[in-house]
Amino acid sequence: MIYFHWENKPKEALMKKTLTILALALVLVAMVSAQTINVLFWDDAYPRTLMERIPEFEKATGIKVNIEILQPPQVFTKTSVSVSKDRTDYDLVCVDEGNIPLFASLMLPYDQWAPGKVFKKVDPNTVTPAMLDVAQWDGKLIGLPINGNLYVWMTRKDLIENPKYKADFKAKYGYDLGVPQTFQQMLDMGTFFYSNGIVSGGFGPFNGGPAGVFGEAIFMWESYGTHFIEWKGGKPTLVVDKAKAVQGMEFYKKLMAIAPKGAETMAHVERQAAFCADPKGVFTQFIWPAQIASYEDPDKSLVAGKIVYSAPPAGPAGRFAIRGTWAVNIPLASKNKEAAAEFVYWWASKEIATWLVEKNTVPARTDALTDPRFAKSKPWLAAIADSMKYAAARPRFKEVAQVQDIVKKYWIMGITGQMPCDEAMQKIIDETNDVLKKAGY
Amino acid sequence: MSSRKPVTDSPRAGRPEGKARTRAPFLFLAPAILIVFAVLIFPIIFSLFVSTWDWPLSEGAGIRRFVGLGNYTALTRDPEFWNSLKLQLGFIFIAIPIELLFGFSAALLLNREFFGSRIVRSLLLLPVFFLPILSGMTWRFMLQPRYGPLNALLISLGAPEITWLGNPSTAYAAIIIQDIWRMWPFMFMLLYAGLTAIPQELMEAAEIDGAGYWRRLGSVTIPLMIPTILTAILLRIIDALRVFSEVYVMTEGGPGSATMLFSLYTQRQAFGYQKVGMASAMAIFLLIVSIVFALTLVRRNMSLDVLEEKAGG
Repeated sequence: MIYFHWENKPKEALMKKTLTILALALVLVAMVSAQTINVLFWDDAYPRTLMERIPEFEKATGIKVNIEILQPPQVFTKTSVSVSKDRTDYDLVCVDEGNIPLFASLMLPYDQWAPGKVFKKVDPNTVTPAMLDVAQWDGKLIGLPINGNLYVWMTRKDLIENPKYKADFKAKYGYDLGVPQTFQQMLDMGTFFYSNGIVSGGFGPFNGGPAGVFGEAIFMWESYGTHFIEWKGGKPTLVVDKAKAVQGMEFYKKLMAIAPKGAETMAHVERQAAFCADPKGVFTQFIWPAQIASYEDPDKSLVAGKIVYSAPPAGPAGRFAIRGTWAVNIPLASKNKEAAAEFVYWWASKEIATWLVEKNTVPARTDALTDPRFAKSKPWLAAIADSMKYAAARPRFKEVAQVQDIVKKYWIMGITGQMPCDEAMQKIIDETNDVLKKAGY
Repeated sequence: MSSRKPVTDSPRAGRPEGKARTRAPFLFLAPAILIVFAVLIFPIIFSLFVSTWDWPLSEGAGIRRFVGLGNYTALTRDPEFWNSLKLQLGFIFIAIPIELLFGFSAALLLNREFFGSRIVRSLLLLPVFFLPILSGMTWRFMLQPRYGPLNALLISLGAPEITWLGNPSTAYAAIIIQDIWRMWPFMFMLLYAGLTAIPQELMEAAEIDGAGYWRRLGSVTIPLMIPTILTAILLRIIDALRVFSEVYVMTEGGPGSATMLFSLYTQRQAFGYQKVGMASAMAIFLLIVSIVFALTLVRRNMSLDVLEEKAGG
């Protein structure tokens, strides 16, 4: 009888058996929980589109993906608070390229990522060269660049192809109306449409958050032939040529004169409303490719299918396309590094990248962006490829947020006429120097 | 009759029980004191502690090191700090008197019964229930120069188009107007409650003595309302010192730093510049300012003697 069997067992054996069962149960629970990864996404059309396919990944690998999706400033804050060297709330975080220096020491270098079990480890060389640099820091690849975000220019096709406007413009300016190739052409054409009441804005500026305004300032300064900050002798150094920088600011001030009303505070929402929802709209402006899906959505945009995409127009020193790419990174403290890596290999695979292109978003893989199937249906892809030839990065260093605030403050004061551009630029120089000095550089 | 002596008569027996009696209230209060310490006092002490450190938000931004009063002295040298303090105090001294004026006037007007008076009083409270962030968003869109209804109205009346949030002075005015719109009903709510609590006999006595409306207002109503008015002002000041989300969504502190209130600058220090120590020093500074306001209002104007004096006089 069982009763006797149990009774006869020594107590130690019974205890041993119970403990073994408990330990096995714990291991099983641990194994199941190891198959869940916490991912921190930034909020835009690209990760939101990807989310549609995540159940497929979960089915293929048995790894459950917990997603938290936040606006970029909150992604930055959450990463700052939740990721350290020895603990992390996330197994995978998305880091904006400007913040790579801040978080690099907390992330696992890509060459240490485990090989995939279900999906093959992605060769970094599949990433477009202009984007690969995004995740490089201190000679190491910190994570993998995941989207192909850099300035692409949008111009209203319906306006530049209108025979009457073409004739009138040529009569006034002596050259053909078309996609602006230079800053001067952009100003001429924008002024033509704006002063004749054809558009609400001849140019759509960006005067929203500090990082975006910093991008505009760097775009203008590079286009006028000066860098702002460079790494020299292992430290960020202010190298700006004030005269050239002031010229860039002055030119932007001229563009502000043909911008839509409220341009002083235009962020992405207002730019999109002005370009897509205003019946007159805006003639030309830059766009981050991540936002193209909204501009080309006929339900949201009056100009869907009426936009020509190109590389940015050239300033006196040439063309420059500011980059704003995100990298995916695995924190050193993650306990689910392999599962997190598996998720990235799936996300950056050719199949998913191609599907993301099909859905009007822009991954970082060259083969997906240059897929001939999309050459006609996705006209912005050629423009992105062209812009990548002129990719330029915003300066990257740990104290960049303070410098961005300084630049934003005085840049807007300069371009809106609240302060002479020369004085505004001097303030930028003085206060940036002060920040760098206080930081010990 | 018991042969036992009363406990108090016995020095040996009395001492322990006396101690127990002394201890008992503290033991009963201990859980509450502990909770108050954990929830109210500890965060302040911790904030004070952090304010003496160079404390980066992210471990990637550097290492923590003790700086003593370094953050406080650095703040005094930071022009943006003084600018944000000036803007914050300006916000308080402009918005709150106007809210008080509107709230008190409305309370006086509506302190009577008429058809629909309850509905009117309830409807007036609606803005207070608006989420601050939603209020900021709504005002941001209302003030949009091209498709905002305010400009549409002004233009239809022949006024020029105004870029409300793009100009430093109009942006500052806009955040104050938004606050007045949202919070004057709060003043109304408190002051109306105060008005209804005034004994009717006093008013009737004043009326029999020949006092007109304005005399009754100046000599009876306002003196009796002083505690309520001061409480309302104090609550609003404390609230206005912490105003953040509505201004953040309206202007993010811009244009330039025209609306970079103290609270917004504190947030920038902590989450933008990764300087938690500096932000904590600002928080402690704000706490001191709040205490100064509270002490000035409460100790000098709300002591029982003063109130009795005012009510009696």
